[in-house]
Amino acid sequence: MDSLESIRWSAVALAPDLMLASGILLLIIVGLIWRNAGLFHGIALAVTGIAFAWELLRWSVGNEPAVLFNGVIKTGDFVVFLNLIISLGGILTVIMTWLSTRPQQRLPEYYALILAVILGAHLLVMSESLLMLFIALELISICSYVLAAFAFDKSATEGSLKYFVFGSVASAVMIYGFSLLYGMSGTLTFTSIEFVQGIAEQPLPLFLAASLFSLAGFLYKVAAAPMHPWVPDVYEGAPMPVVAFFSVVPKVAGFGILCKFITILNMRGFPDWQLILGVVTIATLTVGNFSALWQKNVKRLMAYSSIAQSGFLLVAVVAFSANGYQYFLFYASVYLLITFLVFLYLQEFENIGVTTIADYSGTGKSFLWPAIFLLVGMIALTGLPPTAGFTAKLFVFSTLWDGYSVTGKSLLLWVLVFGLLNTVVALFYYLRIPYFAFVRPATDAPAENNFTKTNLLGAILVFLILLLFFKPGLLMGWINKINFVP
Amino acid sequence: MQHYLISLLIFIPLVAALAGLIIPARAANSFRYLTLAVNIVQLFLFIFSVSLYAPDGGMQFIEKQPWITLDLGSWGVLKAEYFVGMDGLSYPLIGLSVFVLLLTTISSWTIDTSVKGYFTLLLVLNASIIGSFTALDMLLFYLFFEFMLLPMFFLIAIWGGARREYASIKFFLYTLLGSVFILIVMIGLYISVHEGNPAGQLVHSFNMLNMQDPSHFISNAVLDPNNSWQLGVFNARQWAFLLLFLGFAIKLPAAPLHTWLPDAHVEAPTPVSVILAAILLKIGGYGLARIAFPIFPEAAMYFSTFIGIIGVVSIVYGALNAMASKDLKRLIAYSSVSHMGFVLLGLASLTQEGVTGALYQMVSHGIISAMLFLIVGVLYDRTHNRTIDFYSGLSSRMKAYTGFVLVAFFASMGLPGFSGFIAEVLVFLGAFRAPSANGLLHESLAIIATSGLVFGAAYYLWTLQRMFFGPFNVKGRILPEQLTDLTRREYLMLIPLGLAAFCFGIFPQLLIRYIDPFAKGFTEIILAAGKALTLTP
Repeated sequence: MDSLESIRWSAVALAPDLMLASGILLLIIVGLIWRNAGLFHGIALAVTGIAFAWELLRWSVGNEPAVLFNGVIKTGDFVVFLNLIISLGGILTVIMTWLSTRPQQRLPEYYALILAVILGAHLLVMSESLLMLFIALELISICSYVLAAFAFDKSATEGSLKYFVFGSVASAVMIYGFSLLYGMSGTLTFTSIEFVQGIAEQPLPLFLAASLFSLAGFLYKVAAAPMHPWVPDVYEGAPMPVVAFFSVVPKVAGFGILCKFITILNMRGFPDWQLILGVVTIATLTVGNFSALWQKNVKRLMAYSSIAQSGFLLVAVVAFSANGYQYFLFYASVYLLITFLVFLYLQEFENIGVTTIADYSGTGKSFLWPAIFLLVGMIALTGLPPTAGFTAKLFVFSTLWDGYSVTGKSLLLWVLVFGLLNTVVALFYYLRIPYFAFVRPATDAPAENNFTKTNLLGAILVFLILLLFFKPGLLMGWINKINFVP
Repeated sequence: MQHYLISLLIFIPLVAALAGLIIPARAANSFRYLTLAVNIVQLFLFIFSVSLYAPDGGMQFIEKQPWITLDLGSWGVLKAEYFVGMDGLSYPLIGLSVFVLLLTTISSWTIDTSVKGYFTLLLVLNASIIGSFTALDMLLFYLFFEFMLLPMFFLIAIWGGARREYASIKFFLYTLLGSVFILIVMIGLYISVHEGNPAGQLVHSFNMLNMQDPSHFISNAVLDPNNSWQLGVFNARQWAFLLLFLGFAIKLPAAPLHTWLPDAHVEAPTPVSVILAAILLKIGGYGLARIAFPIFPEAAMYFSTFIGIIGVVSIVYGALNAMASKDLKRLIAYSSVSHMGFVLLGLASLTQEGVTGALYQMVSHGIISAMLFLIVGVLYDRTHNRTIDFYSGLSSRMKAYTGFVLVAFFASMGLPGFSGFIAEVLVFLGAFRAPSANGLLHESLAIIATSGLVFGAAYYLWTLQRMFFGPFNVKGRILPEQLTDLTRREYLMLIPLGLAAFCFGIFPQLLIRYIDPFAKGFTEIILAAGKALTLTP
C-alpha cells in the first residue's frame, strides 16, 4: 500500500486519540481566553466522553487486529478494551475533580495534562515498536510528574521531584535495555518474527540484562516491587483525583503492555519469565500489604494498597494463559470501579478536613451513607463477597491453580498461597478506616445531606460492584470474546 | 410452598434488613418489633416444615436456580448455582438457629445505642447463617460463610465491652484466615470437577454433591484422586483436606486455634455471645461434615487419628482452662472449646453412633451454651461484673436464677436427663467402638476424653460452690441491691432453653430420628469411598 494512503487510513483508526490530542490543544487555547472553571470541566468531560464513546462504538462493531502506521502500533480487541478502561478512568477523574471543593488552580493545564496521560496510555497499549513504546511511556511519565505537583505545596513538590528523579532513572535504564534489544535483533518492532529470532540467538547473560533493564521501566510504571518506592510520596502530595487517576490509568496501561512484552520475551524459552515475574509478584504483594499496616495517613495507606493491588494484577499476568489475560481485564475493570469509589469518598472526607485514619473517628454517625459506601469499597479491595472484588480475585487465583495443574510449576502454587494469605493481612488495614468511622466515638456531628452528586455517583459505583458479583457474566461475556495476541 | 421454604427463610430477614436501611432513625424502636416478627415467622415456617420433612428422605426442599454461567472458551464453563437443600445434617441445625435467633432478639431488647444498626446487622447475620447451613453450591456457601464475618465484626466492635477493638479484630483475622484456607481448596475443587455436558464442553461447577463423587473429577486435575502428585509427605488431596480442616477447626474452634474465642466471647454483648456460641461455632462442625469429610473421604480416614487427638486435646485443654478462669464468661467460653472437642472426636470415629453423637452434641451445645451465656448476661446486666471471686451465696438472693444456673450447669456437665449426656455417651460409644469397627482411633483417645467429664464436673461444681452457695457476700463495687431476681423477659428466654435441654435429654429419639439416617449414610459412604480410594492410588 502507498505509505501516504496507509497513514491516512491509520489516522482514521486512531480517531479517539486524535480527539484527545485536539482536546489538549483546545483546552490550552480556551484557557488563554476564558477563565471559567465550569467550561474546562465541561470540555474535559466532553473530550474523554467522546473518546470513550468512540472506543465503545469500535468495540461494538468488532474489530480485527489491524497494524497501523507501518507497524508502529496495532489495534485489536484486547487493546480496545484496555482503552475503554483507560478512557472511563479519565471520565471518572474529571467528575471527581468537578466534585472536589478544594481550590483548584490552572484547570486548563491540569486537564490538558490529564488528557495527555490518557493519550499516552492509549498509545502505550497499542505500541508494537520499542520507539513508540518509549515515547508513549515518556508522554505518560512527564505529564504525571507535573500532575503530581498540582496541589502546589511542599509535600506535592517533594513527591513530584521524587517521582521525576526515580522515573528518569527508570526510563534511562529502560531505554538502555531497549537499545541492547535493538542491537540484538536489528528491529524496533518487538512483536515481529525478526525480533524473536534475534533475541533467541543471543547469549543468556546479555539477553537477561537487556530484558531486565527494559522490564524495569514497566515495573516502575505499574508500581511493582522493587520499583515501587516513589508511590507513597507521590500519592501523599498529589490531589485526590490525580491519585485515583494514577492508581488506575498508567497502571492499567503499563500492565497491558507488560502482557504483550513478557509474552514476546518468553518466546525465547529460557530464562523462565514466569519464575521471574512470580518472584516479583510475591515481593509486590508482600511489600505492599505489610507496609500498609503501619500507615497513619490515608493517602499513604492507599498508596501501599495500590502497590498490593498491582501484585494481584500481576497474579493474573503471571499465569501466562489466555484465560489469565482475560481475568486480568476483568480484574482491571473491577479495580477501576472500586478505586474510584474509594477515592471519591476519601476526597469527600478530605473536603471536610479528614486526612489521617484517626480523623475518621465517628464519621460513620454523621455521614452514614458515605461511610457505608467507603466500607463497601474497602471490602471490595480486600476481596470479600458479595463484591466484584471477590469475583475478580477468585478468577485470578483460579487461573493460577489451573496454570499449576497444566505446568506443574510449584512457584504458581506459592504465588497462590502468598496471595491469599496477603488477603488476610490486607483486611487488617482496609478495615481500619471503616473501623474508625463506625466504632470510635464521634468528636462532632455536622449535619448530613444524603442527596448529593457524590452520593449519586457513589451509589452507581456500589451498585456496579455488587452487580458484577452476582452477575459477572455481564462483563465476562464481553471479555470472553477477546483473543490476546501479542 | 415447599419449594420456596429455604428461600423464604433466607430472604425474609434480608428484606427486613433492607427495610431497616430505609426507615428513619426516629422509628428505630419499632425496628425491634420487625426483627422479632421476622424471627417468629421463621420459627413458624420451620414448624410448618416439620410435617413435610421426611427423616429418611435424604436431601429435601431442594431449590436450584442458575446463578453464574460463564463461558470461558476452551477452558470450559464456570457454573455456580443457587442450590440449597436440607438433610439430616442441616435440618436440626436450622431448627436450632431459628430457635436461638428468636431468643437472641428477645435478649437484645436491652440494646439502646444505635438500635437500627444493631438489628439490621442481626438480620443480615440471620440470613447468612441460614444460607450457610443450606447452601449446596460451594460458592454460595462461601458467600454466606464470609458474609457472616462482617456483621459479627461490627456487632462485637460497636456494642462490645472494654477490649472490644482487640477482640473484634482478632476474631475477624482468625476467621478470615480460616476462610482463605477454604477458598484455596474451593478454587482447586471447582477446577478439578466437571459436570457431564452433552455439548462436549467441560462444565466446572461448584456443586458440592458432585464433588463428593470421584467420577466427577477431571482426570489428572490437581485434586483428582488418581493424581499422584506429592508435596512433602502428603498428596494434593491430603493437603486439601488439611487446609479445609484448618479452616473449619478455627471456626469450631479446636485447640490450639481457639484463642480468638475467649476474647470474642468476653467482649461481645450477651446476645452476640449467644449467637457465636450456639450457632457460629456449629458452622465449623457443619463444614467438616458437609465438605471436608465427604469430598476427601480417604484423607479423612488417613487423618482420623490426628483429628481425634485434636478433639481430645480440645476437650481436656478447654476444661483445664475453664477451671483456671476467673471470669465467668471466659469459663463458659472455654467450656465451649471443651464441648466442641466432642464433635471432632465423634466425627473422627467414623462410626454411626459417633457421628450421630457429634451432630447431637452440636445441637445440644447450641441449646446449653445459649442458656449459659444468657445466664452470664443476667448477672452482667445487673452488676457489670463477671468476676467469680466477687460473688458468693447468690442463691439466698436470687433463688429462681440459681435454679436456672443449676439446670444449665448440670446440663452442660453432661448429667443424665439432659441433652449433653446423650450426645457425649454416643460419642464415647463411637470412639470406643472405632478401634474394632474400622480401626481408625486408638482406645486410649476415648479413655482420655472421659476425663473431660470429670474436669467439667469439677469446674462447674466449684463455680457453683464459690458463687452461689455459702454465706451471701459481694466484693468490688457491687451493691447487694443490684442483685434482683429474674425478670419476666429473662424467664421467657431461659425457660424454653431449659425445657429444650431437658426434652432432648429424656426423648433423644426426637432428634436422633433426623440425625441417624444421615449419620448412617455418611459413615457408610465415607468408609466405602475412602477405602476404595486408598486401595487404588
